[in-house]
Amino acid sequence: MLFLRDLGHTEVGGFGISAADDLLLIEDVVLVRQQCSVVTVAFEDESVAEFFDRQIDRGLRPEQFGRVWVHTHPGDSALPSSVDEETFARVFGRSDWAVMAIVACGGDTFARLQFPAGPGGSVDLPLAVDYRQPFHGSDHDAWIDEYLTNVQSVPDFLFPESPCLSLPSHGAISSRTYSPLELADWPAW
Amino acid sequence: MHILYINNDGAGFADQIHVEDGTTVSKLFTQRVPHGRTSDYLIRVNRQPTTSDQVLQPGDRVSFTPVKIEGA
Repeated sequence: MLFLRDLGHTEVGGFGISAADDLLLIEDVVLVRQQCSVVTVAFEDESVAEFFDRQIDRGLRPEQFGRVWVHTHPGDSALPSSVDEETFARVFGRSDWAVMAIVACGGDTFARLQFPAGPGGSVDLPLAVDYRQPFHGSDHDAWIDEYLTNVQSVPDFLFPESPCLSLPSHGAISSRTYSPLELADWPAW
Repeated sequence: MHILYINNDGAGFADQIHVEDGTTVSKLFTQRVPHGRTSDYLIRVNRQPTTSDQVLQPGDRVSFTPVKIEGA
């Protein structure tokens, strides 16, 4: 997610793929087609439906792929906006449980688990990388392809530039090839 | 007849269900999401957008997926 966050100048979002035997262990983040600005991210409805169909075809259960919504924020704050809260309640409020996770450009993180069962409730969760888990290794080329395939940058007239400007622009990424040395400097997770 | 039904509400569902012959998309929605609004879902049959009065056929794949997933 850190790699995807830093690939462009916009927000970016996706669905976390949970381990079959530990639903709060996120083994992958999958992007769907989305329109993103410096301060917004909006998934395309058709792409979300296709994502669901593909995961079912892989043999996953809905609770493994449709419950963890993750996206990035510009700047240092990972606290959810009113738009985030509205989406989380409307889209994920009917599920037995769901997590909204946010990774800010400055490194701050936020995650909340909500569960409507019984009287309902929610609890904030810490986010951490579990280094005990096996990892197939970074695949920057595949991650860049996934990003370029799914993320469409749209202008935001109020916030033309992100606070995170240290990395190449979306257009620059698509127009050149990066050496392994350059890619090694980018954060990976 | 049986159809494949996919929905993320509740515990989540992706399995074969039995529906009566002649069941329409809107009837299935009312049965399965009684308190939901169709405007909150993208409803597809066999991976294609559908209409509320479409009559389901044996083996159809029906999905109700969320719409307007937006962050800021």
